[in-house]
Amino acid sequence: MRIIICVKEVLDPDAVDNYVLHGKLEIGDDGKTLTQTSIPRLMNAYDEQAIEAALRLRDNGLDCTIDVVCIGADPTAILRQAAAMGADEVSTVPVADGSLDGHAVAKILAAYVGAKGGADLVLCGRQASDDDQGVVPALLGELLDMPVVTIARSVELDGGSVRVTRVTPNGDEIVEATCPAIVTISNELGTPRYPTTMRTMKARKINPNQVTIDSLSLADSDVVPLVRMSKQYVSSVQGNCTFIDGDSPDAQAATLLSKLRDERII
Amino acid sequence: MSNSLVFCSFDAGRDGLPAGAEEVLTLARKLATARGVDLDWLVIGAQPSGVEAAAAKHGVAHIDHIDDPKLAELEPDVVVAAVQQYCGQQSPALLLISQTFDSRLVAPRIAARVGAGVVMNAIDVASGDGEVKVTATAYGGDTRVEYDVAGPVVIGVVSDPLLPEAAASPSAPEARSIAVDLAGVDERIRTVQKASSDGPRLEEAQIVVAGGRGLQDAENYQLVEDLAAALGGMAGASRPIVDDGWTDSSHQVGLTGKITRPVLYVAAGISGASQHMVGCAAAKTLVAINTDGDAAIFKYAQYGIVGDCLEVLPALTKAVKGG
Ligand SMILES: Cc1cc2nc3c(=O)[nH]c(=O)nc-3n(C[C@H](O)[C@H](O)[C@H](O)COP(=O)(O)OP(=O)(O)OC[C@H]3O[C@@H](n4cnc5c(N)ncnc54)[C@H](O)[C@@H]3O)c2cc1C
Ligand SMILES: Nc1ncnc2c1ncn2[C@@H]1O[C@H](COP(=O)(O)O)[C@@H](O)[C@H]1O
Repeated sequence: MRIIICVKEVLDPDAVDNYVLHGKLEIGDDGKTLTQTSIPRLMNAYDEQAIEAALRLRDNGLDCTIDVVCIGADPTAILRQAAAMGADEVSTVPVADGSLDGHAVAKILAAYVGAKGGADLVLCGRQASDDDQGVVPALLGELLDMPVVTIARSVELDGGSVRVTRVTPNGDEIVEATCPAIVTISNELGTPRYPTTMRTMKARKINPNQVTIDSLSLADSDVVPLVRMSKQYVSSVQGNCTFIDGDSPDAQAATLLSKLRDERII
Repeated sequence: MSNSLVFCSFDAGRDGLPAGAEEVLTLARKLATARGVDLDWLVIGAQPSGVEAAAAKHGVAHIDHIDDPKLAELEPDVVVAAVQQYCGQQSPALLLISQTFDSRLVAPRIAARVGAGVVMNAIDVASGDGEVKVTATAYGGDTRVEYDVAGPVVIGVVSDPLLPEAAASPSAPEARSIAVDLAGVDERIRTVQKASSDGPRLEEAQIVVAGGRGLQDAENYQLVEDLAAALGGMAGASRPIVDDGWTDSSHQVGLTGKITRPVLYVAAGISGASQHMVGCAAAKTLVAINTDGDAAIFKYAQYGIVGDCLEVLPALTKAVKGG
């Protein structure tokens, strides 16, 4: 069976957060692109967990091909990481950075899955940590006419069905869908494996398959974004904290409580 | 295309109103007035008791109601099909949806069905030149992004930064029953075991005491629970300590956890990463306890204690109990 995993390359969200904290995040002349080359480019963490989910299925005896695809400018490094983790095939559909929206990405992914002769299971991350949108898997599900199960803690295959434990606001729920299906993976799945040095060395020689939009028989009009970013700026945070001094934790506690009581907060 | 602007809810909600209804209606009303179009409210499934009054208060022109036995559980495939058929009949220019766990899946699916652009995490919507300008958060709230979207558009709105405000003049909404045919729609996802917790919810707690990695050790989460109990509140957590199993994920606060809006939020040993702050920035008063005086959390806090939470938490618990 074939498992296709969709991965996105993102700017390290912790690094972005750090620059913002220190008031040093730079936005380019176009008024929207984060331009600091010192910010590492990483595989979206949930997508790493999606690869881990597939590898666990294989560890449990599933006979499968694990195929990882990324639509992006030059995701060679993260695709080599995917190969080092254990992906059988890695591919990219090169597009200019920031030129597409979720709709266009989903269209390309759908065409890619079609060109592969379909997939029994498509795994995605629950959302990308740059735009936080979390829309691509749902859009892809509509294009491929597959059911989409979101926010998985664990994924099992049982005959022709996928059984998913979902993390919902009311606790865990277990659902089933008939394959082919799309599942989005959440951090509750657990830490993805770290590839061995040997595997990492071997993966350095791998060059991802380069798939062009033309070869997927997509017309230009299929990949026109409906949603276009026009501007990006840093949100401002107030920053007027009153620090509570005191000789001891007990004294600080007493001062804080009296302030909260004065303000009728407690 | 008709020009109507539609707030769509498929959420039984609590207290008789779908989640975030008044906040999203406030935003929708503003935009409908600017565009000079009707604001309609599409209610899917059993109509919550507070809909009529809220619709009048926010100047809604029509309450469009779709009900069908198949919509009893508000499952995604039937909801998507119902909204798709509604869009086929009414051709709204814009559909606004309150962003919830369920709508995060349903909204983009509707967008795909009707060929609309979709934007989630929206906090503001305005009219551009023949387009809609949507402001949304990115990087967990570190940045804001403006998107231009040619219609039609489906927008998922996060209600947290918004404040409900009545329309300048209330309306007398006209109720319309919308017929759809769901006979051919079968739910593709089968529930094997339902989520079961229906106890008090972090989202509704008036007081939240949350702990993070600064607690050092799983057993110290008890200190957070103790203070929460002493204050009559609930215990929250940052993601890393949920990932490490110090507490379960129902306690996680943040972008991918619970969005809280308590009167008091105490953050102990939490650094203040944007993705955590999304879940508590709406707190009326935020108290931070952190050993690092430069921690980001102090930028958001009204009160700060630079200190060891393993000492400060028990001191607070003792003081609350003693007072
Ligand atoms: C897409 C995405 C989604 C995410 N969603 C969420 C989410 O929903 N919720 C969430 O919380 N995070 C989320 N995160 C993770 C987030 O970015 C941070 O990594 C996380 O919030 C950090 O948790 P923390 O503050 O407990 O730990 P740390 O960042 O490690 O901070 C620990 C803090 O404790 C302080 N400290 C250490 N010792 C003590 C002591 N003895 N007493 C007092 N203070 C002490 C330190 O100074 C430090 O500030 C998400 C990340 C991404 C990329
Ligand atoms: N450019 C891309 N290439 C491959 N997969 C993607 C891409 N963008 C998004 N995805 C997948 O869709 C998920 C959600 O992304 P988003 O909708 O952008 O938040 C990601 O976690 C990936 O699994």
